[in-house]
Amino acid sequence: MTTFGVHERPMPDLFADAAFDAFDDSGIEPPGIEALYVGNAMGGMTENDTHLAPTLASHIGCTGVPAQRFEDACATSANAFKHAVEAVESGRHDVVLAGGVERCTPETGLDTDAMTEVFVSAAHRQYEQPAGLTFPGVFALLTKRHMHEYGTTEEHLAEVAVKNHFNGTLNPRAHFGRETSVEKVLDSPIVADPFHLLDCCPFSDGASAVVVASEEAAESFDDPVDVAGVGHATDVVPLADKVDLPATQAARDAASQAYDQANTTADTIDFAEIHDCFTGAEVMATEALGLFEDGGGGPAAAAGRTALDGEVPVNPSGGLKAKGHPLGATGTAQIVELTEQLRGEAGDRQLDDPERAVAHNLGGDAATTVVTVMEARQ
Amino acid sequence: MSDTEPSADRLDYVEWADRLRDGDLVGQECAECGHTTAAPKAACAQCGSRTLATVTLPDSGTVHTETTVAVPPKGFEGEYQIAIVQLGNAKVLGRIDDAVDIGDRVSFTDVILTDDHPAPVFTSV
Repeated sequence: MTTFGVHERPMPDLFADAAFDAFDDSGIEPPGIEALYVGNAMGGMTENDTHLAPTLASHIGCTGVPAQRFEDACATSANAFKHAVEAVESGRHDVVLAGGVERCTPETGLDTDAMTEVFVSAAHRQYEQPAGLTFPGVFALLTKRHMHEYGTTEEHLAEVAVKNHFNGTLNPRAHFGRETSVEKVLDSPIVADPFHLLDCCPFSDGASAVVVASEEAAESFDDPVDVAGVGHATDVVPLADKVDLPATQAARDAASQAYDQANTTADTIDFAEIHDCFTGAEVMATEALGLFEDGGGGPAAAAGRTALDGEVPVNPSGGLKAKGHPLGATGTAQIVELTEQLRGEAGDRQLDDPERAVAHNLGGDAATTVVTVMEARQ
Repeated sequence: MSDTEPSADRLDYVEWADRLRDGDLVGQECAECGHTTAAPKAACAQCGSRTLATVTLPDSGTVHTETTVAVPPKGFEGEYQIAIVQLGNAKVLGRIDDAVDIGDRVSFTDVILTDDHPAPVFTSV
């Protein structure tokens, strides 16, 4: 994968960097790649670029393979990954490339105001956008209800940002490489209460990619890791129709599927990469994935239980908060982090010999969630 | 092309928006499972039934959750509060006219238009 941050280079060149990293790591390259599953969420609106899959395939030497682009808001490349895994699992293909690419910074030609308007498109066009709901506002509504029901505080939320910023300082690919403090988070301007600016992930540019191979094909690779389960669920849209807002039900359903496929449970998970587009999203996700009981996510973060040296490290990469969030690249970037950690190749942020991990990538108002369980190969 | 004509009695967005612009906040109740929504759909989001009755929603209810948007998107100005309000068995997203907390009682008092798309406005009781 590329660094996440600000990139002048257009999407095909960014994606090529990520794809070639995956090719070089796996030792396989075209014509051994049988299909391309690529995620890009907003390219039609932000870069006037829509027929992206064959463009990218042509750019990386995969001309002629079946290539398809996925769009699922911020869960875009996890969805591409899911389809890649299912294509291999079904026997349709043996080796495919899954990845994503996005640019969200002013390098697209759009300033922050214009990009904020683009992001609003993930709210319901008829029932939410006319009221002036913003994307931070969507997660603010979910988080305020969580705070009301469980007593989660702004300090709990700030602790998530502090942790992820610290982890980001250890990740050379992260958008933000500086630490922050609870005081700095709480002193930063309000975006949509309870979220301050430092509760929110940045707009980033970047790309990520992974090679997905069948059991048999993987035998010839040096150091594969196993995909043990991929769950994908949706919840009702719009927000107001969700039965239990802070439950983020799609995450619970997707996690249940993924754990069942992996024949495991939440208490065997050694670490998690979680979609912390806002600090409150991480708190709700740690509960939805079963890592902590409902209402326990905020206090757990504040007590250091999700830190690198905690019992269940969450977002060792720095998460979206510090690593950055190029929408369509985020899902497979989580898979890259799981892979490197499970192999013991994560450098300064390497965890202590993890065996099993979970990735949680959500889209829109959390109505789409993809949960992946991966395991080190024994 | 579909052979299915839109059901004459099914509330669609155009009618919902027309009625809301006229100050009439309506929703749908499912004849099969009883699910009630303030965001009309072509079939029930809970059970899939296409037998949906148009119902008038209560004009007052309770704030389920809220946020104050401090950084508005283009086309909107200033800080404003948005809430999801529990109205009887349905929840609806709208704008708040004054200032409320979760649990406060509010009533439906006004409508704002964005490019002619309406959203309900609530005020504390």
